[in-house]
Amino acid sequence: MNISDLLGSVEGSTVATTIRNSLYLFPLIESFHVVGLSMVFGTIAIIDLRLLGIASTRRPFTRVASDILKWTWVAFGLTVTTGLLMFITNADVYYHNFFFRSKMALLALAGINMLMFELTAGRSVHRWDKDQSAPLAGKTVAAVSLLLWITIIFMGRWIGFTTSRANLKPDTDVNIEDLFPK
Amino acid sequence: MTALTEWLSQTSISLAIQTHDWVIPTVQSVHIVAIGVVLASVFMIDLRILGLAGRDQSLTETTGRFGPWLSGALCVLLATGVLMVIGEPARELLAFSFWLKMFLVAVGTVTAAVFQISLRRNEIQWEQSVAKRRTTKWLALATLLIWVCIVILGRLIAYDHIWGAWSRAPKA
Repeated sequence: MNISDLLGSVEGSTVATTIRNSLYLFPLIESFHVVGLSMVFGTIAIIDLRLLGIASTRRPFTRVASDILKWTWVAFGLTVTTGLLMFITNADVYYHNFFFRSKMALLALAGINMLMFELTAGRSVHRWDKDQSAPLAGKTVAAVSLLLWITIIFMGRWIGFTTSRANLKPDTDVNIEDLFPK
Repeated sequence: MTALTEWLSQTSISLAIQTHDWVIPTVQSVHIVAIGVVLASVFMIDLRILGLAGRDQSLTETTGRFGPWLSGALCVLLATGVLMVIGEPARELLAFSFWLKMFLVAVGTVTAAVFQISLRRNEIQWEQSVAKRRTTKWLALATLLIWVCIVILGRLIAYDHIWGAWSRAPKA
């Protein structure tokens, strides 16, 4: 099975069809995607700013992180789920979209960046936990993280502007205008 | 409103935005970044009131930490929001989602302001009793919900036709 068959069968799935044929589902899913991604970005920013020594500096890093990270993962789960649901409605178009591909690559980089933290500054956290800021490696990871997530948000918005829903044909011959009272 | 929309769309700044394709996506992206700051700030203050985060800090300390970011990000949202209205007046000003959102923004902003002023004036009362009241915890949950609804309605402006006859926005 090659990739275009796979994308085609994903697009033809019951879930994808249901979303495409509904007037409300896609807008609602996209709205919750924005709620999720803004929480992901906002909570990660709190941690990054702590590492950089810009905010929350009077609290130990581990306290800040343990308060927040669990919520970041909840929000990330919501964002990935809603993102997948949007993807399957028009899989072939998204898959070939430059901004979609860039966004996926940047998400992978953000994951690697997080791993870098665990392998460097994260290992010696007990030594700088209460310091104003993290050591250089931690600060670098934080700055890269902020930059990556902001770029990911921009890429996401550009996906919306370059994959017009005009490409999205309803599976049945429904004229949107007919759905409204005249 | 239609007259205002007409006039606004013919202003030179609106025409400048309309003729440069990158402006709207860029402004929208900055708007979303600022939404992240607002949502996370409200979330952290509310979690503190609910006793789910920052328990090693007083409510005053938590609000001092996140309050200024909340206000700053709200200013960015106002500025980018105004640019979007100028750039696409009909899409925004004739949308049902837009006005419902503006109503909730007013409620959310006034609530946040009243809370911060009241906390500053009656710090001891807040720490010792008000923050522990059940009503306050429900209010914290309600404000969080209001901000989430604001974000949802913001995105729904792009799909205002879902409101049917309530929407007067032109179809995108």
